[in-house]
Amino acid sequence: MLAYLIRRLINAVITLLVVTAVTFGIFFAIPKAIGSDPALLYIGKQSDPAAIAGISAKMGFDDPIVVQYGKFLKGIVAGRDYANGPDVTHCPAPCLGYSFATDQEVTPLLLEDLPVTLSLALGAAVLWVILGVATGVLSALRRGTFVDRAAMTTALAGVSLPIYFTGLLASAIFVYWLEWLPQGNYVPFTENPGEWFTSLILPWITLAFLFAATYARLTRANMLETLGEDYVRTARAKGLRERTVIGKHALRSGLTPLVTVFGLDLGALLGGAVLTESVFNLRGLGYQALTAIRQSDLPIILGVTLIAAFFIVFANLVVDLVYGWIDPRVRLA
Amino acid sequence: MARKTRVLAASGVALALGLTTAACGGGSDSDNKGSTSNGKSEFGAAITNVVNPSTTKGGTLNLWSSQDADSWDPARGYYAFVWNLNRLYTRKLVDYAAAPGQAGLKLQPDLAEAEPTISADKLTYTFKLRSGLKWDDGAPITSKDVKYGIERVWATDVISGGPYYLPNVLDQGQNYKGPYKDTAPDKLGLKTVTTPDDSTIVFKLAKPYSDFMYLLAMPGSGPVPQKRDTGAQYGSKPAASGPYMFSEIQPGKAAKWVRNPNWDPASDPIRKALPDAINLTITTNADDLDNRLLSGTADLDVGQTGVQAAARTKLLTDPTLKANADAPNTGFLRFADMTPVAPMDNADCRKAVIYAADPTAIQTARGGEFAGGDIGTSILPPNIAGSDANYDPYNRKQGKAQVDKAKEALAACGKPNGFDVTIAARNNRAAEVKTAEALQASLKVVGINAKIDQYDGATDSAIGGSPEIVKKRGYGIIITGWGADYPTGAGYMQPLADSRFITKNGNFNRSEIKDPAIDKLFDDAAAETDPAKAATIYTEINKKIMEGAYVLPFVVDKALNYRNPRLTNAYVHESFGMLDFQALGVSDGK
Amino acid sequence: MAGAIVVIFLILVAILAPVLTRLFGHPIDEYHTDKIDPTLGTPIGRLGGISWDFLFGVEPQSGRDIFSRILYGAQTSLSVAFLSAFVSTILGSVFGLMAGFLGGWVDATISRVMDFLLAFPQLLFAIALLSVLPDELFGLGDRWSRVLVLVGVIGFFGWPYIGRIVRGQTLSLREREFVEASRSLGARSGRILFRELLPNLAAPILVYTTLIIPTNILTEAALSFLGVGIPPPNPSWGGMLSDAVTFYQIDPMYMIIPGGVIFLTVLAFNLFGDGLRDALDPKAR
Repeated sequence: MLAYLIRRLINAVITLLVVTAVTFGIFFAIPKAIGSDPALLYIGKQSDPAAIAGISAKMGFDDPIVVQYGKFLKGIVAGRDYANGPDVTHCPAPCLGYSFATDQEVTPLLLEDLPVTLSLALGAAVLWVILGVATGVLSALRRGTFVDRAAMTTALAGVSLPIYFTGLLASAIFVYWLEWLPQGNYVPFTENPGEWFTSLILPWITLAFLFAATYARLTRANMLETLGEDYVRTARAKGLRERTVIGKHALRSGLTPLVTVFGLDLGALLGGAVLTESVFNLRGLGYQALTAIRQSDLPIILGVTLIAAFFIVFANLVVDLVYGWIDPRVRLA
Repeated sequence: MARKTRVLAASGVALALGLTTAACGGGSDSDNKGSTSNGKSEFGAAITNVVNPSTTKGGTLNLWSSQDADSWDPARGYYAFVWNLNRLYTRKLVDYAAAPGQAGLKLQPDLAEAEPTISADKLTYTFKLRSGLKWDDGAPITSKDVKYGIERVWATDVISGGPYYLPNVLDQGQNYKGPYKDTAPDKLGLKTVTTPDDSTIVFKLAKPYSDFMYLLAMPGSGPVPQKRDTGAQYGSKPAASGPYMFSEIQPGKAAKWVRNPNWDPASDPIRKALPDAINLTITTNADDLDNRLLSGTADLDVGQTGVQAAARTKLLTDPTLKANADAPNTGFLRFADMTPVAPMDNADCRKAVIYAADPTAIQTARGGEFAGGDIGTSILPPNIAGSDANYDPYNRKQGKAQVDKAKEALAACGKPNGFDVTIAARNNRAAEVKTAEALQASLKVVGINAKIDQYDGATDSAIGGSPEIVKKRGYGIIITGWGADYPTGAGYMQPLADSRFITKNGNFNRSEIKDPAIDKLFDDAAAETDPAKAATIYTEINKKIMEGAYVLPFVVDKALNYRNPRLTNAYVHESFGMLDFQALGVSDGK
Repeated sequence: MAGAIVVIFLILVAILAPVLTRLFGHPIDEYHTDKIDPTLGTPIGRLGGISWDFLFGVEPQSGRDIFSRILYGAQTSLSVAFLSAFVSTILGSVFGLMAGFLGGWVDATISRVMDFLLAFPQLLFAIALLSVLPDELFGLGDRWSRVLVLVGVIGFFGWPYIGRIVRGQTLSLREREFVEASRSLGARSGRILFRELLPNLAAPILVYTTLIIPTNILTEAALSFLGVGIPPPNPSWGGMLSDAVTFYQIDPMYMIIPGGVIFLTVLAFNLFGDGLRDALDPKAR
C-alpha cells in the first residue's frame, strides 16, 4: 500500500513537471520564435531600447529557456528574489513568478481566486450528484415508463446545451426579466454567507444541470446493468425485500464507476471553470487564466495551468484510493 | 497606444503655454455659471457647466470601475482615469486648473507658489515651492522630493509602464540611469535639474521647448520622498501630497482614500476635497456596474469609457436618466494608419480606401453617435487648438461611401480593378475588430479585397509599432486610436507624423510619414511661444497629413457616461475627457 | 431516427450554404445600417429584426443577415467537428491498437501518454495555445488555416478517449478464441491485426467517433465564444454568442438563435450517436 502510494506520488510529480515544461516551452518559445519580446509586456508605450534591455536583464528574459525554466522550478521549491529598485523583494515558496500585467506576485493572486472556484465547483458538485444520481436511479427503476422517458429526454437535452448559452439564458430570465436574483459579483462566504449563496446560485444551477444530465445517464445505465446481474437476481430470488436489493446491492455496485467520473470532473473544475466563470463574471482561476491569456501574461497562465493539472492529478490519485476502498474487487498493488 | 485604454487628451483654442493664475483660481463656484438656469441637470450639462455646484463637505464618494489601475505609482500609471485619480493624492509643480471647458486646460501653480521664472533664452526654469507643504506623514515636501520623483522616470527597468518624455528633454547626453543606479550619495545625480535649497528647483533645457510645462504636470513629475520609495513596490503604498491618502489598496479589488491630515487647503488652490472618504470598487462585471450606477448605489464609473449596450438603451430612452448623462469627447480619435506596404505606398490607392470606407457603417460598428462618436474628418480632433471642425477634405460628414470617387482614385493609382490589402487589428479590442470588419465590407464594394489579421494587442508596440514587422506581415492598414498626453498640437500629432519619431519598436507614426516639410513645421511650432500662432502651424500640419491621405479617420471618440444625481461639482475636465474626480462631492452627506 | 434525419439535413445545409444564402438571404458580409437604430445599435423591429427579408433577423451594430451567417457557421462548425473527430479516431485507433496488441513497454508508454493528456487542463491549454499561434499557417487563408489549427488541437486532445476504448477492446479480443485460433494457425501479426481485430473493432470505433462529434461542436463553439476560435469576419456560432453577451438583455434573439442552433445540432448528433450505439451494440443499453 505504502509502496503503491509512493509510486503514485512520484508519477504525479512527473506529470506535473511535464505539464509545466510543455506549457513553459510553448509560452516562452513561441513568442520568441515569432519575434515578440516578453519585456515589451512590461514596458507599455515606451520604445526606448535601453528600457527594454533593462527589463529583459532584470527579469532574466535573456537567459536560455532551460535556465528560465530552472529558475521557475526553483522559485516553486525555494522561493525567488526580484530586484525592485532600492532593494530586493522576496517571493516566498511556492513562488509562481511575477505577473507582467498586474505587477504582482502570482501565488497570492491565484490564492485569492481559489475560493471563488472552490465555492463554484463544490456547490455545483453537491447539486449535480444529488440531482443526477436521483434521476438516474429513478429512471432505472421505472424503466420504460413516462417518468423514465421524460427524465432521459431532459438529460439528453442537458448534455447538448452549451453552458455559455444556458448561462446567458438563465441570467436573462432570472436576473433581468424576472429580477429574482441580484446581478452578481462574487461575495466571499466569510463576508456575507447569504450574499455568497445568492451570488452563486445561478452559476451552480447552470453548471450542475450540465453535469447532472451526464450523471443521470450514467447512473441509469450502470443501474440497469447491475440490476440484470446474477447476484441481484439471486438476492431477489432469495426473497430479499426490493428495498434491500436495490439499496444494498444494486445501488452500491451501480454507483461505484461514478466515483471515478466524479473525481475527474471535480478535479478538472477546480482548476478553473473557464466557461462558467467567464459567463457569470466570477473572478476565479478560470477567469484569471482567460484574462491572462488575453494580456499574454505568461506567469499567470503558467500558474493556473499548474494548479489545474495539480487538481486533476490529485483527483486521479484520490479516486483510485477511494475506489479500492469501496470496491473490494480492486486491489491496490 | 500600447496598453492604454485611454490616454489624456485635451482641447483649447487659446492655449496658455505659460501659467495663468488669477483668472481661474481653482474654478470656484462664482467663476462658473453653475449648472443650467433652473438648477436642474440636463443631458450633457456637465460638459460645459458645473452641475450641482456646492461646497458641502462630508460623505463618501463611491467610485466604481470595471478595470483596475495600471499602477498607483504616479510615475507608472498611464490610464487617463489613473492620471485623473492621481490628482487626489499627487500634487505636481503645476497642474491643470479645476474648471470645465477650455479653462481646465490651463496650467496653474500647484506645489509651486507662482509661475516659474523663465530666463530670457527660455532655457532655464526656476520654481519656488510654497511654504509649509507636508507629506501625509508630516514630513516637509522639499524640492529634493520633486527632483527625486522626476529622476525615477529614468529608472525604466524598475519604473516601467509610464510616460517617458522627460528624459528626452532633460537627459542631454548624461545617460542617467535613474536613482537606483545613481552613484551620488544623495541619489540626486541628474545634472540638468538642481535644487539650490529645499524650496527651489531649477530646470535647464538644451533648446527652447514651448510644451515643457505640460510634462511637469504629468503625475510622474510629482514628488516622491526618497526614504519611502520602495521602487517597483511603490505603487502598493504611494506617499500622499494631495488632500487624500490611501488607507487601503487591494489589487484588482478596491482602493480606499481618507483625508490626509497634513494637507493644508490654504496651500492648494486647485483641489476642493469635499468628501471625507473615497472608495473605489473594482468589479469584473461591467453590466453590474451599470445597474448600480442607474440605481444610484454607485456614484461614478471612473473608467468613463461609457456604459454597456444594455444601459445605453435605458439611458437614451428614459429622459430622467438621460438628464444625468453626458457624452463628452474623450479626446481620442479612432483611425487607421495606411503604411508604406504596397500598394498603400501610393497616395491614390490610399485615397481610394478613404473614399470607399462607409463612414456610417463604421460609426455604427463602434457604437453610434453617443457611444462611438462623431464621424471623423481629419487627424486633429476638434478640441485641439488648430483644428477646424469644418475641415472635411474627403467629404466624409455626409455619411456615405463615395464609390465613384474611390473608383477614380483606383484608376489613378493604376489598379482600376482593386487590389489586395491586409487590415491589422488588435485582438483584445472588440471595437477595433468590428471596425475592421465594417471597413473590409465597404472596401469589397469597390474591388479592394481586404483580409483581416488580428494580432496580439498586449504586444502592440512590437507588432503594429514595429515598422519591420508591419512590412514583414504586409499590414497595409492598421486600425488604431490615439489621444494626446498633453493638450497641444505637437503633443497630439508629433508622434503620429514626425519622421524623427519613427522608432524600431513602439512606433506610432505607423503611416511612416516622412515629409521634411511636416518635420520643419513641428520645429517651428516648438519654438513658437504664441499659442495662437502655433495653432495655425498645427492647422497646416493637419492639412498636409490629410492631403497625403496617410490616415483614414473613423470617429472622434465619445463615451456615454452616467453620473449619480447626488454628485456635486460635476463637470467634464477637458484635459482628461472625463469628470474631474477631485472636484466631486456628495449632496446628501452619506 | 429523428437524429439521423436532422444530421443529414444539417450536413446538406452546410454544403448548400452558398445556394441557400443566394435564395433566401443576403451575403454574409453585407452591412445593412438602415436596419439598425443608429444610436442604440440594436435592430429595428420586433424580435431582433426578423422579417421575410431577414429570416433570423439582423446582427446588432452592423445589420448583417443572421440567417446566412448561421448557414455559413454550420460549414465551419461541422467541418471542424468532423475533421477533428477523424483525427482523434485515426490517432486513437492506431495507438490504442498498438498498445493493446503489442503490450509490454509499448502499452506502458502509450497508456502513460494517454493518462498524461487526460490530466491536462485541456480547455485552458487549447485557449492558450490558440491565442499564441499566428492566424496564418501553411499559406492558407485565415479561415481555413484556423480551421486546421482547431482541428489539430481538438483532434489531438480527443484521441486518448478513443485510444482507451480501442486498447481495452483489443486486449479482450486478443484473448478470444478466434484470435487464438488464427495465431495458432501461424497467421502473422499484420494479418491478425487487419483481418481479425479491426473488423471487430469497427463498430465501437464508429460509435465513439459519432459520439465525439457533438462534443467537438461544443468545444469549437466554446473556443470561438472565448475569442480564440474562428476569427471574424468569418461567421461562427460561438462567435455570434460571444457578441450576443453585450446585447442579450436588449436583443435576446441574437443570443437565442445561435444558442438554439448549437443546441439542436448537438442534440441531433447525440440522438444519432445513441441510436447508432443501440443498433450496433445492443448490450450497451
